[in-house]
Amino acid sequence: MTTDTTQGTAPDAAVPGATVLDARGVTMRFGGLTAVRGVDLTVGAGEIVGLIGPNGAGKTTFFNCLTGLYVPTEGEVRYRGTVLPPKSFKVTAAGIARTFQNIRLFANMTVLENVLVGRHTRTKEGFWSAVLRGPGFHRAERASRERAMELLDFVGLAAKADHLARNLPYGEQRKLEIARALASEPGLLLLDEPTAGMNPQETRTTEELVFAIRDMGIAVLVIEHDMRFIFNLCDRVAVLVQGEKLIEGDSATVQGDERVIAAYLGEPIENAPGKENDR
Amino acid sequence: MNELPQQLVNGLLLGAMYGLVAIGYTMVYGIVQLINFAHGEIFMTGAFGALTVWLWLPGGTTMWLALPLMIIGAVIVAVAIAVGAERFAYRPLRNAPRLAPLITAIGLSLALQQAVWAWYPEAKSARTFPQISGGPFEIGNVTIQTGDIFLVAAAPLSMAVLGYFVLKTRTGRGMQATAQDPDTAKLMGVNTDRIIVIAFALGAAFAAVGAVAYGLKYGEINFRMGFILGLKAFTAAVLGGIGNIYGAMIGGVVLGVAETLATAYIADIPGMDKFGSQSWADVWAFVLLILVLLFRPQGLLGERVADRA
Amino acid sequence: MTTQTTAPDTPGARKADATGGLLPLPEKAARALALGGSVLTALSTFLAWTWTADFPGDLTVYGYPGGLQVLVLVGALLATLVALASYGLKGLRWLVPAGADPALRLATLAVFTTSWYTVLAISADLGGLVNLEPGGFLVALASLAALAGALSLPFRRPEPDPADPDDTGWAKTRHGLAHAWATTKAVFAADSPRPVRALPPYAEILIIVGVLALGLTVFTYGIGTEYDEQFIGFLITAGLGFAALNKAGLISHASQITARHQNITTCGAFVAAALFPFTQTDDQYATLGVYILIFATVALGLNIVVGLAGLLDLGYVAFLGVGAYAAALVSGSPSSPFDVHFPFWAAVLVGAAASLVFGVLIGAPTLRLRGDYLAIVTLGFGEIFRITANNLDGTSGPDITNGSNGVSSIPNLDVLGFDFGAQHDLGGYTIGRFANYFFLMLVITAVVVLVFRRSGNSRIGRAWVAIREDETAALAMGINGFRVKLIAFAVGACLAGLAGTVQAHVTYTVTPEQYLFAGPIPPNSAFLLAAVVLGGMGTISGPLIGAALLFLIPNKLQFLGNYQLFAFGVALILLMRFRPEGLIPNRRRQLEFHEDAEAPTLLTKAGA
Repeated sequence: MTTDTTQGTAPDAAVPGATVLDARGVTMRFGGLTAVRGVDLTVGAGEIVGLIGPNGAGKTTFFNCLTGLYVPTEGEVRYRGTVLPPKSFKVTAAGIARTFQNIRLFANMTVLENVLVGRHTRTKEGFWSAVLRGPGFHRAERASRERAMELLDFVGLAAKADHLARNLPYGEQRKLEIARALASEPGLLLLDEPTAGMNPQETRTTEELVFAIRDMGIAVLVIEHDMRFIFNLCDRVAVLVQGEKLIEGDSATVQGDERVIAAYLGEPIENAPGKENDR
Repeated sequence: MNELPQQLVNGLLLGAMYGLVAIGYTMVYGIVQLINFAHGEIFMTGAFGALTVWLWLPGGTTMWLALPLMIIGAVIVAVAIAVGAERFAYRPLRNAPRLAPLITAIGLSLALQQAVWAWYPEAKSARTFPQISGGPFEIGNVTIQTGDIFLVAAAPLSMAVLGYFVLKTRTGRGMQATAQDPDTAKLMGVNTDRIIVIAFALGAAFAAVGAVAYGLKYGEINFRMGFILGLKAFTAAVLGGIGNIYGAMIGGVVLGVAETLATAYIADIPGMDKFGSQSWADVWAFVLLILVLLFRPQGLLGERVADRA
Repeated sequence: MTTQTTAPDTPGARKADATGGLLPLPEKAARALALGGSVLTALSTFLAWTWTADFPGDLTVYGYPGGLQVLVLVGALLATLVALASYGLKGLRWLVPAGADPALRLATLAVFTTSWYTVLAISADLGGLVNLEPGGFLVALASLAALAGALSLPFRRPEPDPADPDDTGWAKTRHGLAHAWATTKAVFAADSPRPVRALPPYAEILIIVGVLALGLTVFTYGIGTEYDEQFIGFLITAGLGFAALNKAGLISHASQITARHQNITTCGAFVAAALFPFTQTDDQYATLGVYILIFATVALGLNIVVGLAGLLDLGYVAFLGVGAYAAALVSGSPSSPFDVHFPFWAAVLVGAAASLVFGVLIGAPTLRLRGDYLAIVTLGFGEIFRITANNLDGTSGPDITNGSNGVSSIPNLDVLGFDFGAQHDLGGYTIGRFANYFFLMLVITAVVVLVFRRSGNSRIGRAWVAIREDETAALAMGINGFRVKLIAFAVGACLAGLAGTVQAHVTYTVTPEQYLFAGPIPPNSAFLLAAVVLGGMGTISGPLIGAALLFLIPNKLQFLGNYQLFAFGVALILLMRFRPEGLIPNRRRQLEFHEDAEAPTLLTKAGA
């Protein structure tokens, strides 16, 4: 599936069993507020790991620590064994890509251009190459466009390549964000609430998309609130509550844990009418 | 009079004036992330407002009576223009891409400068500003000109008033809240629009005080006085920590002292003997800005700016 | 910046209520009136409008139009054609792909405004309506009739927004005004044009040639206007005429055609520009042409920094100055403290390199920080450059730049035996000094356009736009924000320095006072920024046209003199409030600034 453009290592087929992401003791303090407290998380090659928790639990903050948007106050994050430099563009170059909770597309660029920007880190044609336009430039542009169209095809947006990103319906914008993230040939993809605001149909499509991504050899870490989506999709789920990791395990373990239920649904009120359902 | 204490005092007073103007820049930037380029011109119009009051008063009015009236005049003019600018030029552009309000600010700055030049009587050259009569004060081996006496009183008083306002009043706390997180502040019932207007108004008021100080110090005002001074005042705001009100005054003082000392003593450095004249003063201010940005961009006291998502 | 909203309700496009024109005439009569009025106006330009030649342009002759009459004639012919097209004549359908009526209204408005301006100017200048000949009255009536007819044509009236019953007096007035404004806009609103049929290539190329020739004519006329009234009339006719063509959909058609043949258009434009000196009989207007070209080229360089990468540089003219001073100092001028005379290619390198160095020096510490700081730092640098150049005069500092007198008597260039200072004869045409430099500057402009086009349409160009749109997201895509911004800034500085080396030779002298932040004479930083913003950020033709306008207006309208800069400041404020995307319609930028505008589904390559 890959048209190997230029250098930029394409860490697609990783060694199964190898640890792709290793976060240890990640703590994030903002002044007096501790948003994330000593969180450990690993993601192995070919895994889909979920991260759930009530709103305000620190999930997105944790993501931002992983991608260099925030520098963790304590702890360290290793990607394939190397500690990542605290700059988001270097993290992307190393092989972690992400989407955002509030869609951050380049609204006034076309769909294709958005994905082409995603390819930035895997291509190297700079200013001089652009001005002088040697054969290398044309080759690289052509290859980039081909790869971008492949990715658009993969997510089902190839027909709308020349549409403005802001004109896409919401579900397709989310898909575009994923295509754009994939363009940087990541080994780990971080998805921040990819199905927020989607109907069940779209959610199902997204599930299949994520499975397909995993089959490409990319590990996935997903933040989500849609429980059915998470438990269908993930091999492992970690629960974050008030900045701390409460529990981690497969779906049965997590669903049955009392503390998780309490965190989401609250403690049962004494003598309350009706019973709580098991989720 | 090259003695160090004198130079320090000179620098302090110059810096206090910078600080008063810097307050306006820092308050507005802290809340709406806008460099109000027109602030230097608002400062300038304050000076002309004061002058107008003076010209209007019967000749021979003693400064004890005239000065407070002049200050009021300066404040009224400056605040009126600042509030008008916020309402008609900046507010419509609140959600526009960043360049639009900046360019508007530049246009406003030009328009104000030229309006005064074109329509204020005889403003095409500098106009004399009234002076406080009496000789210079001597304290130890330091001389303070009468013009600067005003600053000695005005600057600390202004900071005290401002500090009280921000910390103790409801509006002041609302301002802090808006500066930190405008959306949440709104949800908490803070009228952010009003807060922003107040920020502009307060900044203009302090700049007006600084303008009167300028006039008293230099004896004349001209339509261009806001341009370079505005630049320096913003430098002071950055130096102290943008968004930080105390930083504005501290930054101003540091800048004033640095500029004065540089002008006085640079010529003593071997090889730099030609660089000691007053015409290089502005250059040193700029060099200081670059150095600050290189080594401590968040300023001396740290930034206090809302995270604009 | 969420992109979650789907296309919102566009205000104003409400249910079409009554049709029917602004004025109550039956449609057939209205159309006939518009046509008849336009024809009559055209004819009346052949009459005398005033009896004395005191009013410039000699409007006293029966038989041929002079001065402002020519403008009115052109406008009236345009209006006539559009009126004929509005009858649905097959042969004229190409003229109005978006429908004729809105264009007709604007065209008749152009004629009306120009002719009434002329007539009123005559009366005001000469002291009373009595100074008008019958021809003058005729043209006033005819153009009024044409406008009335056009405004009576039916249009889609918008329904007023529902009024809030709680509104008090002021709110009610505002509501009424808003509705009146919406109605006025609707009068002149046009539909989207029919998509242009693909014509055979030779036909499209001919069209491009025609467009370029038209552009050259308009530009030459504009430069060559001799008196205030003529220039004002030119602005009115050209402005409203262009608007009329825009509403007719011709502009968008032309853009699409030129977009298909971009290279030919660009080359053709340069050829047209190169023809400009040949249209002049003496060097007087070639001088203007060179200055405009310098200004425009520098504006285009700034466009890379501001328009593409979104970096607000307020001291850009300093880079022009650095290049100019560097070239001047090595040019062998007697007032230069350096006793060297570099050949031109070396001087160019020195100038460009010097600017590049300063660009990197300024950019490196500042571009890592919040974008607003760049504005202040560049503003400071602009001032510091000027102050330093002023001070290095031997007294306040070592004598490097000769202080406020600057470096003067810069010798003319002599490249490969071609003396730029001398007149040359080329096939019967005399090419004077300024014309020589015009051609040289054209080469520099070509370089800048090339750099702009090619870098814009590439990986780095996309990175620039991404940074401008959403820096956080761009960083998350792996773009090294600092490096990319520094490249834009440095390229901009280098190109300005390049232009500066030619400027030094053209103006004989470089002084610090030439490089201000704001002043009555362009180029200066404020004017450059305005040219980019006014023309349209991110386009190529935008800054060029913006620069031409901004140079000519203060130059031609001397009476503005004192109030120029004031008007300039006010214009900037209004522009940002009402049309921040600039004059040249670039759909993409328009969308950036007007969040609730309807966006076309597809964006063609021209961004149109």
